[in-house]
Amino acid sequence: MDVLIQIVASGLTLGAMYAVATIGLSLVYGSLNMLNMAHGAILTLGGYICYAAIVHAGLHPALALPGAALICAAVGLLIYFSAALPLLRAENFETNIFIATIGIGSVIENLMLKGFGPYPIPQPLAVDGQLVIGNVHIPLQNVFILGVALMLMVAVAVLLQRTSAGRAIRATSMNRDAAQLMGVRVGRVYAQVLALSGALAAVSGIMISSIATLTPVMGGDPMLKAFIVCVVAGLGNVYGAVVAAIALGLLEAATQYVFGVRWSFAMLLLLVILVLIWRPFGLFGKQQVVRL
Amino acid sequence: MTAIRRDILIGLVCLAIAIALPIVMPGRYIITQSTLFFIWAIVVVQWNLVLGIGGIFSLAQMALFATGAYATAMLGFYWKVPMLAAIPMAGLVTVAVGMLIGLACLRLRGPYVALLTLAIAQVMYVLIVNDTGCFTTTGGCMPLFGGVRGIGQFGDIGLRALFPSKWYIAHYYVGLALLALAVAISIVVIRGPLGLAFRALRDNPGYAMSRGISRFKYQLWIFAVSAFFTGIAGGFYAVHFRVVGPTVFSFSLLLFLIAMIVIGGLGSIWGPLLGAAVLMLADEGMRELSDYRNIGLGLLLAVFVIAWPNGLNGWLQRKPAR
Repeated sequence: MDVLIQIVASGLTLGAMYAVATIGLSLVYGSLNMLNMAHGAILTLGGYICYAAIVHAGLHPALALPGAALICAAVGLLIYFSAALPLLRAENFETNIFIATIGIGSVIENLMLKGFGPYPIPQPLAVDGQLVIGNVHIPLQNVFILGVALMLMVAVAVLLQRTSAGRAIRATSMNRDAAQLMGVRVGRVYAQVLALSGALAAVSGIMISSIATLTPVMGGDPMLKAFIVCVVAGLGNVYGAVVAAIALGLLEAATQYVFGVRWSFAMLLLLVILVLIWRPFGLFGKQQVVRL
Repeated sequence: MTAIRRDILIGLVCLAIAIALPIVMPGRYIITQSTLFFIWAIVVVQWNLVLGIGGIFSLAQMALFATGAYATAMLGFYWKVPMLAAIPMAGLVTVAVGMLIGLACLRLRGPYVALLTLAIAQVMYVLIVNDTGCFTTTGGCMPLFGGVRGIGQFGDIGLRALFPSKWYIAHYYVGLALLALAVAISIVVIRGPLGLAFRALRDNPGYAMSRGISRFKYQLWIFAVSAFFTGIAGGFYAVHFRVVGPTVFSFSLLLFLIAMIVIGGLGSIWGPLLGAAVLMLADEGMRELSDYRNIGLGLLLAVFVIAWPNGLNGWLQRKPAR
């Protein structure tokens, strides 16, 4: 029983972090058909900005978190104007933007390596204390992460469902041409989505670094897992991605306990391949009919 | 002059220059760096077939390269297979692994393929690096795949014994021969039936498919061909450096190679070779600035994709403005 509580607690924390990282990716893919390979680097950047704001600039943690989110939103906008906008006018957008963001991600990552050095740094934004359920001690940090993640998810859901900007985003991801014909400014939607995704990446970077440590390459692993979540859920399906993220977090915690940490990623991947053979468009994805 | 004659002519000229190089510039550094260039050029030329011609967005090429290198090393280390037999066997092993990856990925759409192949490469890396159990204890504890330190002492193709002081020149010519073969195969694939099938699928997918051209079948073929030569290149890499470690999975190497293809020109015959040469030279010229290497590579990659998506090759073949 205690073991079960332990697995569920750490699985939910993992899942919540993946979900926040995944929502941004999924929104961007849904509206632009763009796989943002710089997402991991933006995530790391968010963690470092929070660290720098608290340690070097002496800001209060309650200011550092939104500050990091704002700066990363600006980076998202920058990617839109410098890479996505010119590439959207050319052919092969999906392939080209993928390669371009690999390059941009490498630039950001190596700038952080130059600026902060390769050694792991602890994230100062941390909550002390423990929550005791039965015989299991759960760090308050994990509860905090879960709370922030839930709040963000609710906020994104409200944004998507209840505001006109959210309606425009959903319309664009359903059918770009029809949305444009109905007067949706698609360019503005793209910019908003990339900024939102940057902000979400920053928050998830801060959360991830607060239970691990800050290193310039820490974004790669969560990004890959976020992509796996996206793929399992069906690229571009935001709500499916949240469900899949939490399911994969629980599964990862369980495999880590049963088989050891070393096999958890391989098990995840095996599962993804099986899911994709069974449903090539993801669990919640709709099969797209291609008309020639 | 037909396209294929022009390709053969360019190829022969390049080959002649490369054959003459060790005679003109016999410095050991230049020769060994050129050998390394040949190895990366083989990988890049074969990757270009998958990426540019087949339209398969696979990032598994370095995983296939590693498969070839590791297969060669392990055949030599565990079964004492002579290297001359081990390298072709490693090529076949790589084809088998490539076919498995292809079967898992090729029914998916572009971005799914990219992510899945990237994840497969990452899993291979993690499994090799995190393996700390002793598989064998001859000469110290070693995990099955060599762990972080990699595998060494698996034999040689015999050129070091044959030319004790000039073995690096011998390796240069072996690398050159392999590259020439890889380029010849790439010309055959691009100008031959496979290339035609893909061009038909790109120009008019509906017509091509109704004439019975199966995208999946041809993609699997091109994947297998490119896997074979990539595996051979991996095997030669293993023999040349006498050790295989998990560094072949490194992201900066992947970045370096994909930048070669993009800068040279995706989908063309000579573009990737040109890109490989340019980047190797640039890397050499900016050795003091090595801290900024990955920043520069990333910038180059992004700028080329955005501003010159056809690469240097497209720039060379641009139509004169009227």
